[in-house]
Amino acid sequence: MKKFWRCFVCNDIHYGFKPPELCPTCKVKNAYVEISAKEAKMIACAAAEGDFTKEDFRRAIEKFTAANPFKVNPDRDRTDILLEGIFSNEASHDLKYCPCRLMSKDWEEDLKIVCPCNFLIHETYQGRDKGECWCGLFIKR
Amino acid sequence: MPKLLMFHGRECPHCRAMMPLVDRLEKETGSSIERHEVWHDEKNADLMRSYRPILTPQCGGQLRVPTFLNTETNDAVCGEMPYEKLKEWATK
Repeated sequence: MKKFWRCFVCNDIHYGFKPPELCPTCKVKNAYVEISAKEAKMIACAAAEGDFTKEDFRRAIEKFTAANPFKVNPDRDRTDILLEGIFSNEASHDLKYCPCRLMSKDWEEDLKIVCPCNFLIHETYQGRDKGECWCGLFIKR
Repeated sequence: MPKLLMFHGRECPHCRAMMPLVDRLEKETGSSIERHEVWHDEKNADLMRSYRPILTPQCGGQLRVPTFLNTETNDAVCGEMPYEKLKEWATK
């Protein structure tokens, strides 16, 4: 089961089975201690400033794709609609759920449709020359 | 008479692309396809979820939109598709 971990030097939060050996922010070794979900939420939310807008998200996914064999779909009309849906779903259902699928209300299953999802396994992407994620937000380069 | 359902999302580009094909199908075949938007209508979302055991094996293991379901045969097709494939599903 994944747990929350906090760096005792710089307060970075990590969520995973094990803490990182080296803190990616302050570079201190063996710096992570297990904490509660409530502490993690408090620290992460207190650190967050301002809204994360659609354009912030667009920049984030462009940066995410920069060193990957896929990119954000250059069809701006399409991505505008998708971002509208992703943010609408976050406003109504708390996470950036894919507008081209539906929550099953099974938490583990629904984490699989949070954008960006692991679309590398989608049949619309895998083994195709012009592959794309199910919704078409990400396409092969 | 079989009931033909379409589950779609308002901000799903594939669903938007399929709408004119659904209109054409209704016009040409005289059939009626009940459209259910699932992200802004919880009743419709629950309706789609009620078909989860039928839909997911035919749609990549997930609830995806657009999905077209024949409630009599439980035959489902998902995603953007050519008109002929949609017609084949509707007239089977």
